[in-house]
Amino acid sequence: MIERRLERMGVMTDRGKAAAYGIFSLSVLLALWICATSLFQWIEPRVLPSPAQVIRQFAWIITEPFSGLRLPGHILFSLERWGWGVLTAGLVGIPVGVFFAWNPWFKTFLNPVFELIHFIPPFAYIPLAVLWFGASTATQAMVVFVAAFPAIVINSQLGVAQVQKIYIDAARVFGASPFRTLCRVVLPAAAPSIYTGLRIAISNGWMALVGAELVVGKVGLGFMIAQGQENASVATIFVGVITIGCLGVLIDTLVQRSERYVLPWRRVAS
Amino acid sequence: MEQSAGKMAPGTTNPAQEAPAKLELRNISKWFGPVGEGVHAVDDCSIEVKNGEFIVVVGPSGCGKSTLMTVGAGLEAPTHGEVLVDGRPAGPPGPTRSVVFQKFALFPSETVEQNIKFGLQMTGVSAAEQETRLAEQLKIMGLELFRKSYPSELSGGMQQRVAIARALVMQPEILLMDEPFGALDAQTRTILQEEVQRLHREKHYTVLFITHSVEEAVYLGDRVVVMTKRPGRIKKVIDLPRDVVWKTGDIELAAEHPEFIEFRREIWGLVREEIVSI
Ligand SMILES: Nc1ncnc2c1ncn2[C@@H]1O[C@H](COP(=O)(O)OP(=O)(O)OP(=O)(O)O)[C@@H](O)[C@H]1O
Ligand SMILES: [Mg+2]
Repeated sequence: MIERRLERMGVMTDRGKAAAYGIFSLSVLLALWICATSLFQWIEPRVLPSPAQVIRQFAWIITEPFSGLRLPGHILFSLERWGWGVLTAGLVGIPVGVFFAWNPWFKTFLNPVFELIHFIPPFAYIPLAVLWFGASTATQAMVVFVAAFPAIVINSQLGVAQVQKIYIDAARVFGASPFRTLCRVVLPAAAPSIYTGLRIAISNGWMALVGAELVVGKVGLGFMIAQGQENASVATIFVGVITIGCLGVLIDTLVQRSERYVLPWRRVAS
Repeated sequence: MEQSAGKMAPGTTNPAQEAPAKLELRNISKWFGPVGEGVHAVDDCSIEVKNGEFIVVVGPSGCGKSTLMTVGAGLEAPTHGEVLVDGRPAGPPGPTRSVVFQKFALFPSETVEQNIKFGLQMTGVSAAEQETRLAEQLKIMGLELFRKSYPSELSGGMQQRVAIARALVMQPEILLMDEPFGALDAQTRTILQEEVQRLHREKHYTVLFITHSVEEAVYLGDRVVVMTKRPGRIKKVIDLPRDVVWKTGDIELAAEHPEFIEFRREIWGLVREEIVSI
């Protein structure tokens, strides 16, 4: 009884510790910010707004439309573009990565092309995307796609290539066709690596999205930041940046949590 | 008499009354990499396993036992020689030849029951039949409480039981077992040895069993094949008595029987020669 309670407390304190450190470091940052602005005015408000100003601006953008939309509206547009980009990158990238590893010929054939594409920065595609799709959702989604795609392909390929031969042998012995071996044995074994690829892709895509929105479009969080610059409103820029950061953390946490449910056998392995 | 073998497949070299071996490895050689340059794992090994027979292969570590087994299962093509089932070329691996792998090879993403049912699902056994056979194996192997567990949640002994259940549930004509008890603690090993011995007596499986334990070989085998060090050749084949009392009881009791001790001494002597001469 007592042991079990201690164990439970041990878990609590471990998790508690991490949370405490997080809160602590964020508080220090906030305190410095308050000192530098509201308290001692080390830095001019035109350069760095005070937390109070930023909070006021938050309240303002949430209640009053900013360039036609309230904050949640801008967030939804950004999420939509990002979602389409990451979704298509996953739907195309996972099969491509898997076939890279599964079929050596496929890899030899396509890898040079892939290597080349991989080294072109996502933003270099913005002009092309604008020419192709105009100022639509597809434009930013394409930039997200380009940013997300390589990580998914590379990690899916690694995951499949690392599957031990003995599992494939076992599947053959028990009568599985190559396709069913792929679905039932190889993909689950590669799933953790594919997941890692997705996580990297999701954050790369998120960053590329904001970049693309700075340049094209009339809505979205990136656009909001660009407007802040236009209006010389540092507080608006801060609202945008903080929202982007928090959403990024939130999405990554959700994806990380979901792994335990999508890959239940990993829960016990670790 | 000799003309009566009309049912035999054409080209069979043995038209006498005797049926062809259930599994035959004929003049198997295996090189990994180019012949003459790579690793010469197995050299001209021939083993016949008759229907219902339990053949045990012993030999020093790295002598090519597992290689012989993967060739026998159809997972690797031999460099020379051929594998025959019922006198015909065996072809690709399939559920008639079930394998228990040296390293279990349970699918980590599947529960115990999913692992055991895997082969049944792949070969289109009806759902009702799957459940019946699964239940039977879970019972035989004492895995009922673990059916929903993942392999990573099980001890080595339990994992090995799952691997054996997964092979037996196919009701294979031939069972290939590669050091199935090598990684187990002594108690679990003893229990599983007795279980396999009982299954062989009752169900007359045709088994090719690999081990480096001489005692296991003497206790389980109808015949014991001793291999040389690499490249593995057949050093000697020893026929063991079959329907003797000490083989049907506990392995501890068997180990005290003078006949057992004599065979163990002989086989161990042969294996030791190979180890010492390295
Ligand atoms: N896929 C492979 N490629 C190259 N060499 C291999 C391969 N598989 C096995 N070998 C080599 O062939 C030889 C025989 O290996 P094998 O695994 O058959 O031995 P073993 O008798 O089963 O050994 P152990 O008792 O340790 O299980 C070893 O030298 C091994 O390194
Ligand atoms: Mg081996």
